[in-house]
Amino acid sequence: MIQIKAIIADDEEPLRTYLRSLLSDVWPDLIICGEARNGREALELVEKHKPHIAFLDIKMPGLSGMEVAKKIGKACRVVFVTAYDRYAVEAFENEAIDYLLKPVTRVRLERAVKRLRKQIDAPHEQPQSDITEVTERILAELKEREAREYLQWIKVQRLDGILLVPVEEVCYFKASDKYTMVMTEEGESLIKKTIRELSDDLDPNQFWRIHRGTIVNLSRIAKVSRSLTGRGAMRLKDRPEILTVSRSYMHLFRQM
Amino acid sequence: MAMEIKSDHINLKRFISSLALTAVFNTIIAIFLTILEFGEGFVLNLIFSQCIGLTICSFVLAAHKLFFTDNIAIRMIIFITAMTAGSVAGTLLGAAITGVTRSIFFEKNISFIHVVFIGILFGSIISYFFFSREKISQIQGQAKEEKIKRLSSEKRVLEANLKLLQAQIEPHFLFNTLSNILSLMDSDLDKGRSMLADLIHYLRTSLSRSRGDLVTMAQEMEMVRAYLNIFKIRMGDRLHYTIQIPDRMKDHPFPPMLVQPLVENAIKHGLEPGIEGGDVLIRVIEKGDFLELEVTDTGLGLLEKREFGIGLSNIKERLKSLYGDKGRLVLEENRPTGLKAIIEVPLDTDKGNHRR
Repeated sequence: MIQIKAIIADDEEPLRTYLRSLLSDVWPDLIICGEARNGREALELVEKHKPHIAFLDIKMPGLSGMEVAKKIGKACRVVFVTAYDRYAVEAFENEAIDYLLKPVTRVRLERAVKRLRKQIDAPHEQPQSDITEVTERILAELKEREAREYLQWIKVQRLDGILLVPVEEVCYFKASDKYTMVMTEEGESLIKKTIRELSDDLDPNQFWRIHRGTIVNLSRIAKVSRSLTGRGAMRLKDRPEILTVSRSYMHLFRQM
Repeated sequence: MAMEIKSDHINLKRFISSLALTAVFNTIIAIFLTILEFGEGFVLNLIFSQCIGLTICSFVLAAHKLFFTDNIAIRMIIFITAMTAGSVAGTLLGAAITGVTRSIFFEKNISFIHVVFIGILFGSIISYFFFSREKISQIQGQAKEEKIKRLSSEKRVLEANLKLLQAQIEPHFLFNTLSNILSLMDSDLDKGRSMLADLIHYLRTSLSRSRGDLVTMAQEMEMVRAYLNIFKIRMGDRLHYTIQIPDRMKDHPFPPMLVQPLVENAIKHGLEPGIEGGDVLIRVIEKGDFLELEVTDTGLGLLEKREFGIGLSNIKERLKSLYGDKGRLVLEENRPTGLKAIIEVPLDTDKGNHRR
């Protein structure tokens, strides 16, 4: 009978030790051929030892457990270990991927081991879902969620360093050639970004364009009045100047 | 959203209601003038007063709309010009409608100027009435807006409290820490025990503190230390931390749960995701009349699209309510890497009395 080999990857040392000792209890024949402290080390170990099983923590520095699994592909069976990740766990359930919840209990580990043994003994009857494809899908979904995120910070260069201004503190942005003026309650600063680049990154529920060169923070508007020429005059809560709303953007302020 | 949006619809409605009210006034003026035996009978007076009154009203409203400005003097000039023009135009209109010619004006010893002047006189009185009415509704509107503002800020504070409470017992933190403790029960009982003690200390202090109370700097730092100790065991060599606080500052009062979110952020976004980890430095510095508390990490820094979580706005809100303009939170990039968060509060506050 062949010796079954496994690796354990987790950035937290006590958890690696614990899983190792639990495994030695539950599956004494299993050989743990290496422990990894991050995703990159896990990949190296897989290449070096060609283990049958990889226990991968999901949240690891460098590469996450899921990214590692995607790269491993069919080289070995993957068991994910996670403390709390509702979305991932849901996905694993649907795709019949092996996973363990932290803290790992003996009962739960025994069940997982039983399954793993069966799979390894009869790989054709118990095929594991194609981990590359599944993780790719999950990662794509996660990435898409991330991509939908909007700008949260404006990095402003100051004499003594770079200041981070949260976008919600910006009253409005004003185009200034290739740059943009960031107007806040406290003052104004110039950033090296065009207003067009900015407008793509800003949350459209918080920032509206009101003029070719102006993007305003909705929560900072005090009042908009309309002139007979069709343009609008906008007053702000925390800044004295009056902004012009182009005719083509006035429809935004029609009766709600 | 607390913003006033004037639509065409509302403007038109207001315009018509102003005209209607003016018409009522015009009728009263016509009756009044007739009683005084001014002019050529009630019907003629009524026609003239309606023409003049309604024209003035339209002119003034239009001028207000077209040349809106904040300058009171310019507004006054625009108003007087519109009123005079309206009165002249209204009188001419009245003359055209009734067919009253120059000669009749002369015959009755009423000059054109007279009529225009009477128009301006009554126009001023009525305009004054309109302006007062506008002002009252504006003041009422402001009061209403204030109220909405206050209520929504109260709501925000409540939500922030709830979120803070949830953040303190963040599941990922709790499960991971408990897993570590469970693991240490087998391998290193002493370490496990001390980690459990730290977790208890952290949970007890963070959950039991009422956010209104001030605690001492030392108490707050003890809690942060417990939190950092937990991560020290979890992250091992990847985390180093230093807390520097001058002895005389230890009894200084400080609002609770302001530092913890900054430390949490430093670990969660700065150090944990990096293979190398890094350092956390917490420093308390006196700067003139101000006290500065810095939380610096040497981690990955803040990405532009990364949310800071509930911590930041919560801290800002609380600093504002506690210290007004004198308390602030500044975030800077740390060199060469990482993030530096600085809380600045006045050294001497009335709140200092709470210790007695």
